[in-house]
Amino acid sequence: MTTTTVPLAPVRRWIGRRQSAHRERGATAGNIYFALLFVAIVGGMVHKQLAVVFWPHSPNASRLVAASLVPVLFGLLYLALRRFGPLALSRPAASWLLPAPVSRRRLLLPSLRLTAIVAAIVGALEGIAIVGHAAPRTLGGSSVALLASGAGLTGIALLLVALAAQAGGRWGNRLDAVVSLLLAAGLAGLVTDATTDQPVAASGWPTTTALLPLVGALALVVGVLFALSVRGLARTPNERILEAAKTAGTLFDSAFGMEPSFLTDMVERRYWARRHLRSVRFPARLPVLVTQDLLLVARRRGRLLWLALAAALPVLLKDAPAWLTGVAILIGILLAAATPAGNVKTDAGNPVLLRMLGLSSRQAILQRLWVPGVLAAVWSALALGLLSALNELPPGPWWALGLTLGPVGAVAAVRRARVGFVRNELLPLDTPMGTVSTGPLVNAAIGPDALLLGLPVLVQIAQHHPLSWTTVLVQAVVGGVGARAYLVGSTSPDRVELNAPR
Amino acid sequence: MVDHPAVEVEDLHVSYGSTPVLVGVALTVPAGTGVCVTGENGIGKSTLLRCVSSLQQPDSGEIRVFGARPGSTPEFWRAVVTTVEPPTWYPGLTVREHAELVCRAHGQDPEEAGIDEALERFGLGGHIDAIPPSLSSGQKQRLTLAIALIRPSSLLILDEPEQRLDPDGRQEVASLLAQYVAGGGSLLMASHDDKFATASGAQVTTMESLSADAS
Repeated sequence: MTTTTVPLAPVRRWIGRRQSAHRERGATAGNIYFALLFVAIVGGMVHKQLAVVFWPHSPNASRLVAASLVPVLFGLLYLALRRFGPLALSRPAASWLLPAPVSRRRLLLPSLRLTAIVAAIVGALEGIAIVGHAAPRTLGGSSVALLASGAGLTGIALLLVALAAQAGGRWGNRLDAVVSLLLAAGLAGLVTDATTDQPVAASGWPTTTALLPLVGALALVVGVLFALSVRGLARTPNERILEAAKTAGTLFDSAFGMEPSFLTDMVERRYWARRHLRSVRFPARLPVLVTQDLLLVARRRGRLLWLALAAALPVLLKDAPAWLTGVAILIGILLAAATPAGNVKTDAGNPVLLRMLGLSSRQAILQRLWVPGVLAAVWSALALGLLSALNELPPGPWWALGLTLGPVGAVAAVRRARVGFVRNELLPLDTPMGTVSTGPLVNAAIGPDALLLGLPVLVQIAQHHPLSWTTVLVQAVVGGVGARAYLVGSTSPDRVELNAPR
Repeated sequence: MVDHPAVEVEDLHVSYGSTPVLVGVALTVPAGTGVCVTGENGIGKSTLLRCVSSLQQPDSGEIRVFGARPGSTPEFWRAVVTTVEPPTWYPGLTVREHAELVCRAHGQDPEEAGIDEALERFGLGGHIDAIPPSLSSGQKQRLTLAIALIRPSSLLILDEPEQRLDPDGRQEVASLLAQYVAGGGSLLMASHDDKFATASGAQVTTMESLSADAS
């Protein structure tokens, strides 16, 4: 049997011509114009904030912060590249061109080029931000440019590693774990810096003459690796590309349909499809749905570990306004309580299993509130206890105040999990900046709105007064009454389905 | 419950837009018996089952399940099991744990209810640690039926339970349904397989014979 390879360029041109027949004349130019206009307007509006992020008036970071930011920022870039492929095709191309006898390398090259450009830009921006915070202002423009180029090249190098991991076997997963550890270590470094007084480091930066050969060598290495990767591009297994194509497609679906649940559901499905589970016996004493939630949480140990580490992150906000710490705590309890949210989401989306269980919606939701409540309580007790131990908060029983946030987090997470699809039929809002679609806004607010039950904590942290047991009691009562009102108002003992029939 | 028929349907009318699907349908399933409705695709079998399961509102007509109107109450769903709607599955829960969850929710002890034997009989013995989305469509169908039969109930409403099952599986399911009816349970199902329906101890009736046009 002989195999013939069909040249790809004419096929792509033909597809492009057919597609452009459906587009308006000049639509592409119009899109570019609007994108540039958008960037210019938004850049003009937030240039002060951008300066704070990338290039503050004077360097304000210690050596430890600079050293910690490197694994945090570049680790996040690497993990993001891994999550999204990094090599992906559009869904139509994955369906029609991947199985066609065209050159695999040419098919995948545009995707690699685009991803490389994005990785280089993100890497360079991260490099500029680190230099801006840590380097002395005496550093020459050429040095900064070289450092930024080096960071951009590092971004491309990370892309190439992620690309090899996409094609390769198990070492990719191990490397992900190592990068996650480095990221955690970087975050730990940031927290350590926030709790100790480190001097601002503004010396010891290499000169242009020292940098030039280094960056040149890096460019050479990355260039060679890139060429090798392009040669090996055809060896990327089909199923990995198909998986990445699905991710890209779902990402676009989520963006165009303004329906983030498409993406989160896909991530969750993939997570469980990869796990190897062993059935356990349920203990007879606990209510069944509590047992089920516990089981789900026990099977997400990685997430629990991240949550435990994240309890230290509010410390980073010590120089920010106090209310921001309060907001961070409230967001944290929502994330902690949402760990077993997949169960409620399943029931809210399709009540078939609830009917099979024969439980009333009130029984079901009451049982489903327990585990999220405990997770939220423990997380906020840890976070507030740590802040208090580091003397970032006035004296008082902050850990107890944290425990009272349990019901608040539980209600917010369960309410969020029950929300369902975005309602795009809601009236759009006309603003001077253009039309805003209200459906996604309303949808995004359902769930977090219940965090208002934590208002006593927010006010207490914002005021920065010593904490009394009265406040703890007030928060406990507000949380408990709020959770009870939510349960009574949103469920019924005579109905199985979680959503009232419309 | 024994005093009333398991299902009573009188003068049921359902139409989709201007297309009438059910016209004056009448049906009775005496308690402790089985009835199987047959008929070609699109004749309204599933619609009838959906109406009896209270998952669809008819345009008009009377439906009673054990003498009461079907509804979404926990009492109704403790007496009735239906496979009319395709199930979704809980994340991170294995095949056996799904079965055990349903058993426990009904206060049964999984060992006494015999879930391991049931899963074995349905050919799922080698898949108890799998997550249901990873099963084939036939295996998912078997799991749904296994769970429906393990938990206690008084009425089974099954939409083409033989679908996607291999010949051995059909035989197994038919004999289990016959046991269910012999044990005092009531069965209402739709099927395309007369042999399967007869083997499961159900009285076979055609959809046409239930409509007002037929008489």
